[in-house]
Amino acid sequence: MIDRNTAPPTQKIQSIEFICPQTIEINSTVKLLWVKNVPNETSRIDLYYNAGLRNGRNIIASLCSSLLLSGTKDKSTTEIHKQIDQLGAFFDIGLSHEGVMISIFALKENIFEAFCIINEAIQCAVFPDKEISEKIRVKKEKHKINFGRVGFLAQRKFQEKIFYNSPYSELTNLEDFDNISKNELIEFHENFFQKGLFKVAVVGNIKESEIDSIISKCKDSCIDKPLEYYSAFDNFSGVFHEEKKSAVQSAIRIGKTLFNKTHADFFDFSILNTVLGDYFGSRLMKNIREDKGYTYGIGSAVVETGSSGYFIIGSEVGIKHRESTLKEVKSELENLCSTEMSHKELELVKNYLLGQMLKAADGPYAMMDLFLSVDTYDLKMNFYNEYIERIHQIDTKEIISISQKYLKWDTMSVISVG
Amino acid sequence: MVSFERYKLKNGLTVLLHHDKTTPMVVVNTLYDVGARDENENKTGFAHLFEHLMFGGSVNISDFDKELQKAGGESNAFTSNDVTNYYDIVPAQNIETALWLESDRMLSLAFTDKSLEVQRNVVIEEFKQRYLNQPYGDVWLELRPLAYEKHPYKWATIGKDIAHIENANMDDVKSFFKKYYCPVNAILCIAGNYDESGIKSIIEKYYGSIPGGKRPSRLNPAEPKQNSFKTKTIYRDVPSNAFYYAFKMGPRKSSDYYIGDIMSDALGKDNSSILNIALKKELELVTEINAFITGSLDDGLFIISGKLADGVDFNDLDKALWGQLDEIKKIGINNDKLESLKNKINTAKAFQEQGLLNRSINLSFFELLGDANGVNEEGFIYQKISGNDLILFASDVLIRNNCSLLKVAINDR
Repeated sequence: MIDRNTAPPTQKIQSIEFICPQTIEINSTVKLLWVKNVPNETSRIDLYYNAGLRNGRNIIASLCSSLLLSGTKDKSTTEIHKQIDQLGAFFDIGLSHEGVMISIFALKENIFEAFCIINEAIQCAVFPDKEISEKIRVKKEKHKINFGRVGFLAQRKFQEKIFYNSPYSELTNLEDFDNISKNELIEFHENFFQKGLFKVAVVGNIKESEIDSIISKCKDSCIDKPLEYYSAFDNFSGVFHEEKKSAVQSAIRIGKTLFNKTHADFFDFSILNTVLGDYFGSRLMKNIREDKGYTYGIGSAVVETGSSGYFIIGSEVGIKHRESTLKEVKSELENLCSTEMSHKELELVKNYLLGQMLKAADGPYAMMDLFLSVDTYDLKMNFYNEYIERIHQIDTKEIISISQKYLKWDTMSVISVG
Repeated sequence: MVSFERYKLKNGLTVLLHHDKTTPMVVVNTLYDVGARDENENKTGFAHLFEHLMFGGSVNISDFDKELQKAGGESNAFTSNDVTNYYDIVPAQNIETALWLESDRMLSLAFTDKSLEVQRNVVIEEFKQRYLNQPYGDVWLELRPLAYEKHPYKWATIGKDIAHIENANMDDVKSFFKKYYCPVNAILCIAGNYDESGIKSIIEKYYGSIPGGKRPSRLNPAEPKQNSFKTKTIYRDVPSNAFYYAFKMGPRKSSDYYIGDIMSDALGKDNSSILNIALKKELELVTEINAFITGSLDDGLFIISGKLADGVDFNDLDKALWGQLDEIKKIGINNDKLESLKNKINTAKAFQEQGLLNRSINLSFFELLGDANGVNEEGFIYQKISGNDLILFASDVLIRNNCSLLKVAINDR
């Protein structure tokens, strides 16, 4: 008979091998990163442009990135999409405050050609009037739908408070959609796409000669001096509630200005964040979901920006549980500041984090993503070995001191909508 | 090519092994052959509520997640109208922890009142978050009973009424477990970098002694053939009018599934699809239009949905949409377009198979369909589809008498 009451022995993860991509300079500022060793036929190319929301009015940055494949002098948008389809390729465009990332996915035999079509479309975009007006209609519609979501409304309000009085606090409003000039779009495109490429990442077992061609095709659109990012964020703290009559749930966002990977407290805070709200057994999940049943989910995260970052807790809870949830979150934060956690709990979090780290390093795509996530801050792959070491070493007293330093309730911006 | 080995334990549990030495992880995937279609019409939402309870402690282990996290692993699950699927992702060296946990909850649950009470509340909040507190969130709660009259697909996985979840009691929980959560009704797939020489004996150790149980019979009423067009309009506080055309189509195992999949891509998957070009770009009738299939194990649905542009009437869209569908029944889809769609399916499949978790879920799902090797065969099935297959499908499925139309109209009151 087996003993089902006793857990089988487990082995702790001691170290993980992190493999750097190959780095090739396109110019003195811009690099192409390449992970060549892929055990299957897939491949991906990411193009990073300095064309984020921070570079202009939100509406212009957002329209510009979504109209990149809307047509050139020689090709209509439909023709461009047809050519991409024929190669069986996919692409994805992501926009943030600090950049636009275009990812191209295809089998390795087609990825170079797909890159050529997309790169040319981006560089030679002419923004036909008809495409602009269609995109405005579609985007305006989506915006209206979003206004019906408490999560969206709370995120807006949160953004206003977390980026208070900074260039990142601008919000898009419906009237912005009626105030767009084509010239503004063209100018944005010239400044930030035709002269804004700041990184290229390639995963895939493609030919050296194709890498060379990618480099030569990218050269002219690269930036020539390093980017600088705004860093003087300071969140506007306090408790803010917005009523929404028809809502059956309230969206909650709580957070404060923090930092990114370059900060000395980053490791400790990341571990603390996991304890608080970044896994299924976290304090917040255990209390607010698994004990009280107020919500389907609650979590916390550290979000990084180029020179700063912020901390956020988010959830959607039943209307009648809003006040109790805020009270419970507050008491969880206070508890971490005042009471030493058990060694058992910290041990569990350590094991969990190490397992997650192992998973995050599984395969060529994961390895590239890990590298990109440190390279942004001019850090090296060794960052992760140091993190693993810190996970092994940190003790329960250090968790208290990091909590006391950063989790004071009255420093938080507390938002609820619904 | 996804290689695998299949065998059965004496108690009837089907085991699939997929070894991959390039990963440091292992996935333990368990698929139970039970979904919302197995529920009693007066107790809907139960299969999904039960999925939540599976994390509330088993007969010998009080906290599932905690033990798995201690081993560096994580876990989740999903329920559909057809199946309930659980997976654990752990560092390969700690595979035994996952087997210990998964097998114990197959053996029996703790059945605590606290767990039932809390998960009822959690699921009610999930119901609100996903279905009630979103613009257009309740569409599937309305569309299913419009399209299906007899078959249990007429209710959504979350259930047709919050009251059903509120009323779930411990007797229901116990009998549901007894009936569906047993080795004969499950498929276990282990994928990743496990130790090949010891894997079978360790599976035997944890699962061999669980009583096999009896394969539950499934007597779902067949959905009668639809003979006339159905339509319903609901009024909601939404920013624009939305439409959902639902056509009945064949089950997952029929060729309808593959042809319908390609047809839906052709009509409305992305910017260069037929309906996007005709109705959005050229006629400017809609701000959004999509086509997709539900891929259900029993007779499924082919859906065309979208939102009307400002000032456009439902009837204008209706006329133009049927015009497009009739055109396809006559001339089909050109060969270049068909080739492009097949190429995209190829690429998507290659990326999907990159992920260990996807591979293990797919193997389990195809095994449920009859043969895990279907994973390796479906690519060929797609490649063989011809223009004529698409014309036949359109003429057979995309017709008015086979259609249920749900309109969500702006509430002016």
